[in-house]
Amino acid sequence: MTLPPAFWTYLKVVLLVALVPAIVGFVVVLAERRLMGFMQARLGPNRVGPQGTLQGLADLLKLVTKEDITPSRAEKAVHSLAPVLAVIPALTALSVIPFGPPVRVGRTVVPLWVADVNIGLLFLLAITSIGVYGIILGGWSSNNKYSLLGGLRSAAQLVSYEVPMGLALVSVLLMTRSLSLVQSVRRQEAMHLWFVFPGLLAFFIYFVAGVAETNRNPFDLPEAESELVSGFNTEYSGVKFAFFFLGEYTAMIIISCVAVTVFFGGWLPPFPNVKALEFLWQVPPALWFLAKVAAFLFAYIWFRSTFPRYRFDQLMALGWKWLIPLALTNILLVAFAILLTPGWTTGLVWLGWTLGVLFVLAYLAAKLRQKLARRERLAAEPHPVEG
Amino acid sequence: MEAALRAAAGTMSDDKISQAEKDEAAYFAERAKAAAARAAEASAVTGTPPTLFDVQEMELNFGPQHPSTHGVLRIVLKVDGEKILEAKPDVGYLHRGTEKLFETETYPMGVPHTDRMDYVAAATNNHAYCLTIEKLLAVEVPRRAQLIRVILDELQRLSSHLVWLGTSGIDLGAVTPFWYAFREREQILDFFEEYCGARLTLNCMRIGGLPFDLTPGWTERVAEFVDDLPARIDEYEQLLTDNRIWKKRTVGIGVISGEECIEWGLTGPVIRASGVEWDLRRAQPYECYEELDFVVPTRQNGDTYDRYIVRVQEMRQSVRIVRQCLERLEPGEIRGKVPRVIKPVAEEVYASVESPKGELGFYCVSNGSNKPYRMHVRPPSFINLQALPRLAKGHLVSDLVALIGTIDIVLGEVDR
Amino acid sequence: MALKKWLDRITLLDLFDGLSVTGRHLLKKKVTIEYPEQKKLPSDRFRGMFRLDEERCIKCTLCAIECPINIIYIDWHNEKDEQNKSVKVLDRFDVDLKRCMFCQLCEEACPTVPKSIWLTTKTYEMAAYDRNESLYLDIRKLTDWREAPNVKPFTVVERG
Repeated sequence: MTLPPAFWTYLKVVLLVALVPAIVGFVVVLAERRLMGFMQARLGPNRVGPQGTLQGLADLLKLVTKEDITPSRAEKAVHSLAPVLAVIPALTALSVIPFGPPVRVGRTVVPLWVADVNIGLLFLLAITSIGVYGIILGGWSSNNKYSLLGGLRSAAQLVSYEVPMGLALVSVLLMTRSLSLVQSVRRQEAMHLWFVFPGLLAFFIYFVAGVAETNRNPFDLPEAESELVSGFNTEYSGVKFAFFFLGEYTAMIIISCVAVTVFFGGWLPPFPNVKALEFLWQVPPALWFLAKVAAFLFAYIWFRSTFPRYRFDQLMALGWKWLIPLALTNILLVAFAILLTPGWTTGLVWLGWTLGVLFVLAYLAAKLRQKLARRERLAAEPHPVEG
Repeated sequence: MEAALRAAAGTMSDDKISQAEKDEAAYFAERAKAAAARAAEASAVTGTPPTLFDVQEMELNFGPQHPSTHGVLRIVLKVDGEKILEAKPDVGYLHRGTEKLFETETYPMGVPHTDRMDYVAAATNNHAYCLTIEKLLAVEVPRRAQLIRVILDELQRLSSHLVWLGTSGIDLGAVTPFWYAFREREQILDFFEEYCGARLTLNCMRIGGLPFDLTPGWTERVAEFVDDLPARIDEYEQLLTDNRIWKKRTVGIGVISGEECIEWGLTGPVIRASGVEWDLRRAQPYECYEELDFVVPTRQNGDTYDRYIVRVQEMRQSVRIVRQCLERLEPGEIRGKVPRVIKPVAEEVYASVESPKGELGFYCVSNGSNKPYRMHVRPPSFINLQALPRLAKGHLVSDLVALIGTIDIVLGEVDR
Repeated sequence: MALKKWLDRITLLDLFDGLSVTGRHLLKKKVTIEYPEQKKLPSDRFRGMFRLDEERCIKCTLCAIECPINIIYIDWHNEKDEQNKSVKVLDRFDVDLKRCMFCQLCEEACPTVPKSIWLTTKTYEMAAYDRNESLYLDIRKLTDWREAPNVKPFTVVERG
């Protein structure tokens, strides 16, 4: 008996829509709170369930049972629509992410993605930017000045950070020659090269823009708690707030998934073509994918617990004056590397080596200089007691 | 806004609207009318028909329940987008009439009330009060008491600056220094608890000296702690000082010159960051500060970053002072010769100490009875807060948060 | 100089420095005290719950006089004892604990040795559902006040 392909598609959709919120609620949020706690020399939530594992359930129960308040003089329809707008595109975008190579179930081969769209990246960029409307409309419809400011901030921020993000992905397109995400993984396998090496700059730009796109620290201006009292979601409570929350974290997951797929070889284990490391293939590819995504989410959490927040105008300056020119330069760089060398791969490999070595050398030099400067300063400091 | 306009146009049926709603509608209608007038004015300048977007100014109530106002400060902002055109601090939400309270009670009974003014730096408050009454009585404080008072002051300065560091970091989005700073502050509070039995509202000084002698082992533990502290301060600095985002948020924000500081009467780290070396511990030494070796850190630019650097360096200097005092400690008396019932001669005195926020002074008028006739406090937070409208003008709302943090106000002291 | 600055900037040195601090703390020992299960005992001088020794008290009312916020109420009358000597007997010794600011001036004012009223009971768990009932102490509560038994066992955490 063979099940029709449509069955598998429906199953995958249901799994994604049911699983992702659960993962977000139970794993990501808990991991964020506990890891941030560890980094801040404290324990984080560890009361609900063993080691706090059921904290997500408690949070969910709290949010669901909370009173749903719509402020007076708010635009009621838009106020209710906004959270939905924030969460639906984020979940939709998951459909094109390839979580692993096709697997065999009985006699059918089931791909681990809902759809391999040939305009995958374009679709992703398009659908995730709809999520911006949720934030803008939510901020505007709340009839609260702080929310309005938050919404306006996010309008400017998210729209302008789409540009460097798209430009960074253009340079990857030069390497993959396809917009399809599955193709980009296959190409990395064929070229024996993760695209993060030649695309170091592109990756940097993409990730910075991605952090900005998801309103996370250090770019969490629309919800800046200490300035705008949570910004656009100040007037939301209960399930609506949970939707915003879910939308934000799903967006984080999508940004990480795309980064992994495009730059870090998707489901491929590290060094997929080295003979000595072949045992790495024993791990299911989907697990490699999840591990890489987890690493990215960890980076998100690490950033949040370390960096201060940019100011609104400085954020715009960073985007327009630094990231966009840098992205354009990077496109040229990659294009020339491909054009001026024989074959498709040679130039990219050379580019990868050059960028990597240059960065490591520069970093070591800077670190050394810092160490020497500190030693000098310590030598000049007076003794604490004798003076 | 649109709902307000609709209400103003009378589309809602009158019988359904209660009186309160009517008032509200009238208020919004008035606002809308004023906005329309401003819009018309603007359109007269530009020559285009007026729209809703021509309204340039927005009034924003910043506080008193805002998380970044360090208590219950309310600032009425006039903003154009996010740019601040005008900032008006509105104080008094925490007013408890402390000055009047002093008049109703005998001199020794005033000490616990001073704890509740600058509640993150109770020891310096106690010190300033006791110093004033001692000056009134012309009492000599024994040397051991002086040294212990200085140690308590400097530990308090450290803990107050740690609170400032943590909270102003949070204001700018850096959440982690807060937890590190509070970890160290906890240890300082433990020392206070061991010495006087309280952690926050210390009540740790008495007129003429101290209530208790040190417990055995206290000095060793404090010495160990202050030896550790510089490494911890390095850690905070590694998180913030060179960080490009921190620098962007603080360099050039709220610049005020030394002359202006003097005109406004600003004191403490604010004036020292503007290049004026004014520290009461140096300028008019009290207790045993004269013989101690420490540097008064100053910076030239007078912006938020310099105020940050000055405070961090002050913490390092406090460590030095505590170490020196611990070395000089010798057994001896801890309380001077103060009569049991304090009845000073009719006189007026002013004495002040360098509190973590600036010059904290008490002005006492005595009429010869056992209660002060009038007691006035010169609170550094309140006087430094005056400069906020001047500092905030032209900056963005995000910078206002940084500026409130950098002035280092405690609302208990502002409102008393 | 400018070049060095640029080197720092393009290598994101400052950001990596910050990340290294939080990264180090990830594995360090945590300082949280998990309160009901772990407790840090108060110091010997800790100012907490009141206690009164009725035998020692000489009914001089100095503590009530010295209290900055007048929360100690003392009434007494004279009685003859067996030797026909006049002794003071307490009618009322109340402390309005909910207004107390724990300044210890009453204990300092007390002339008896040892003190008849003291705050160094090392008790700080005084939360109550009804402040007017539970936090208004009369003689019975002052002399015979017992801490609520600990519901859960706890471990003691070292100070400092």
